[in-house]
Amino acid sequence: MSEDSSSFLELDSITKKFGDFTAVRDISLKIREGEFFTLVGPSGSGKTTMIRMLVGMEQPTSGEMRLQGRVLNDVPANKRPTCMVFQSLALFPHKSVGENIEFSMKIAGVDPARRRQRAEELLTQLRLPVNYYDKGVNQCSGGERQRIALARALAFDPQILFFDEPLSALDFRLRKTLEKELKDIHKETGKTFVYITHSLEEAMVMSDRIAIMKAGGIVQVGSPHEIYNNPVDKFVAQFMGEVNTLAVEKAGARSVRGQADGATYQVSRMPEGFTSGFLIIRPEVMKIGKAAERLKNRVKGVVFNDYALGSRIQYQVRATATNEHWLVERLQDDPYEGKVDDTVSIGWQPADSILVSE
Amino acid sequence: MSASRHDRVSWLRQPGVLAALPAAIFLLLGFAGPLAMVFGYSFMPPKTFSLMQPPTVENYISVFTDSYYISFTWSVTLAAITVLLLFPICYPIAYGMAKLFGKWATLVTVLVAVPLLISENIRLFGWVLVLVKNGIADGSLQTLFGVSMSGLLYSVPAIVLGLVYVYLPFMLFPLVIGISMIPDTLKEAASDLGASRWQIFREIELPLAMPGILIGGILTFILALGSLAESKILGGQAIVMIADDIESSFTFAQNWPKGAVLSVLLIALSGIIVYALFRRIDLDQIIGRR
Amino acid sequence: MSSQANRTSRTLITVWTVAVIVFLYLPMIAVVLASFSRQRYFRFPIPRWTTEWYTRTLESLSVRDLLWTSLSVAALVTVLSVVLAFFGALAFARYDWKGRKVYQRLVLLPIFFPQAVLGLALLLWFSVLGVTTSWQTAVFAHMIWIVPIVILIMSIQVYSFDPALEEAAFDLGATRWQVLREVTLPVLAPGIVSGAIFAFLLSWGNFPLSLFTTGADQTVPEWLYSKMVSGYTPMVPTLGSLTMSGAAVFILVIYLAWLAVAARRRRQMTAPDD
Repeated sequence: MSEDSSSFLELDSITKKFGDFTAVRDISLKIREGEFFTLVGPSGSGKTTMIRMLVGMEQPTSGEMRLQGRVLNDVPANKRPTCMVFQSLALFPHKSVGENIEFSMKIAGVDPARRRQRAEELLTQLRLPVNYYDKGVNQCSGGERQRIALARALAFDPQILFFDEPLSALDFRLRKTLEKELKDIHKETGKTFVYITHSLEEAMVMSDRIAIMKAGGIVQVGSPHEIYNNPVDKFVAQFMGEVNTLAVEKAGARSVRGQADGATYQVSRMPEGFTSGFLIIRPEVMKIGKAAERLKNRVKGVVFNDYALGSRIQYQVRATATNEHWLVERLQDDPYEGKVDDTVSIGWQPADSILVSE
Repeated sequence: MSASRHDRVSWLRQPGVLAALPAAIFLLLGFAGPLAMVFGYSFMPPKTFSLMQPPTVENYISVFTDSYYISFTWSVTLAAITVLLLFPICYPIAYGMAKLFGKWATLVTVLVAVPLLISENIRLFGWVLVLVKNGIADGSLQTLFGVSMSGLLYSVPAIVLGLVYVYLPFMLFPLVIGISMIPDTLKEAASDLGASRWQIFREIELPLAMPGILIGGILTFILALGSLAESKILGGQAIVMIADDIESSFTFAQNWPKGAVLSVLLIALSGIIVYALFRRIDLDQIIGRR
Repeated sequence: MSSQANRTSRTLITVWTVAVIVFLYLPMIAVVLASFSRQRYFRFPIPRWTTEWYTRTLESLSVRDLLWTSLSVAALVTVLSVVLAFFGALAFARYDWKGRKVYQRLVLLPIFFPQAVLGLALLLWFSVLGVTTSWQTAVFAHMIWIVPIVILIMSIQVYSFDPALEEAAFDLGATRWQVLREVTLPVLAPGIVSGAIFAFLLSWGNFPLSLFTTGADQTVPEWLYSKMVSGYTPMVPTLGSLTMSGAAVFILVIYLAWLAVAARRRRQMTAPDD
């Protein structure tokens, strides 16, 4: 990707206030042409407001949005070369599948034969039978409706396609299938996709880059790999799923001291200027029982629960010294015969932990 | 100052405000205006047709010292009796429509709503034909049992029958909405916890259906309170209701200020009740099921 | 035991419902019976039947005038109320704006208002403003009561309207006007149609408002009332039956049209099996 395309869609200090409430606080971002970019955040983080401003449903209070250098702020939604797939999908209930897909072309005055041809192309591209053209949208299943909404947006031929959590209402398996399909379609069309979701897991599967939002601001931007391996703070680390977090302070060049237990733990890398913060250890890198006894960092505790998580088993361990809860996961076929109420060692390698400031 | 003016302008430009304006202006002209005028007339000297006289409370005094309390009492009593009769009549039907009838509920709704679309006085005239001497009730009894039942018409019970008949849908439909707002699982849970049928009704159904019950009760009470046709068509000269008094003050007696005072009193009575109702319910929830 | 009790109460409720529906229709049946009775004064059982009153009523010129007046009033009320109430219902249920809760309550007040008193107040209002009352003023009067009812009916539909539909159309390049024509109006069509039906029939059957606001003109319900109180003629039940059957035919036609539209839409919306 060339330097030029790095400023395809540019946000410059965007702020949005509703009365006294600041929904989006001074956000600057550059989205590249052709990338799959995802904004992730819990509800109330401002991601919905952000996307509504990008589409043109809301006006920023201050700041500028530019698409290929052209200022978008005062361009109304119907004049923007962008299009959104809504959370509710917003399929027109009184129109057939074909009429839904053709809507923007009808508005633009494209002749009916050409419209129909394009609609049928899109049906095929989205793995829908062509004879769905005359079907009522309310007779389609959840997954089919997703595809129709996407086809309708693609028919508009937008420069950027926005997605407002369109998969959130679907069941787990269908969601997984559609996530992959969406990534395929992104590749096929080569268009810029901007997606918002509250699920980092979903973002990880599909995105080229992810921005994590919290309380109206952006906390971290990076590739899924960067975010997974180097979360900038506790919020991002915990957002990724269940992790063990330990409040620590600096003890040496390669060690920290636990604030609760006073024990020293080795780390492989000490961030510049670190004084105190959190040690983050994922449950799946932790070891339990015999496997833990050879490790540099260890904690003693009592197993008080175990859960089968499919391919893995998760243990909840209460640390003897501090009563803190630890989560440890092991693969089903790793050898360990511990039972609930056993006193065990748990541990991890220094390289498997991440140290973050507040 | 300029900021508040800016606020006002931006408030006016909201789509909701713009959409509200046509109907709001229309009702201001056709509803608020006439009411304000009636209120104004109630303070004019008796038998004047101008609004420019010095105001006086003479009419209020004369109404309170005169025998108007009789028609007021009749109206309030009959309206209350109507509500008290309609509730037990409608509750089982509403319950059936909300919970038991399934797809037949639509048919019942249509059957109850269709008479609403037929002029009230045709339907009341039908009751005249039923109740009149040698009419359907009397004639059937004579033919079948040889007993005569004349004198049913032109009586207080006939008026009550007319009120119950005409306002039945106004009690029934709000009750249906109220009862359908009760989730079935709550009653099952109560029954599971050992509540008897009567306890379920009193502890679960009644409080949860209360918005519907209140709307139904108050709507029928107020409509009956201001009714005119029932007492005229079915009551003959049996009694005078308040709307009769208002009508004759405005028309035959040509005493606008007196009619205005009676109207103001009737409006005030209804207004207090409606206000109390509106404070207790959320229209978004009832109409929009939100 | 319990299901036994359930079945009993279900039967009782059903029987009671049927009884009340019979009660609702009894007077209307009485009117129809009376219209076929030869006697000048009704008696039951009817000794001699006739259809003579129908011929007389249909030939009467004054009845034609009455029907024409009622029809004009109802038609005009329907058109104007639907337009006003459409926007009113959007303000009631679609948009969120400061002052909406107050608007919701104020706009419904006329429904709770005694119609006879409203009619009299409007009579005074017109006379103070120097407007001569006629069938046109009755249109105005009917609308005071009917617009709020139609707003209420349309709101039910508007509440279930997803605002994202409008946003989506707008996002796909439609202008405000195209959004209204392509999305808002068609999606809300069922509410608009039922609002129009109610507006027409409520105006057609209205008596208390017409009584004081039609001036020299007369609608069917007014004429019926005046003949009931004085100068009774068997044309009262006859004209009554005619207007009832008119309303019934109207409802039936709308219902059939509705079925036809629904069936066509279903056909259109069903993809061929292959």
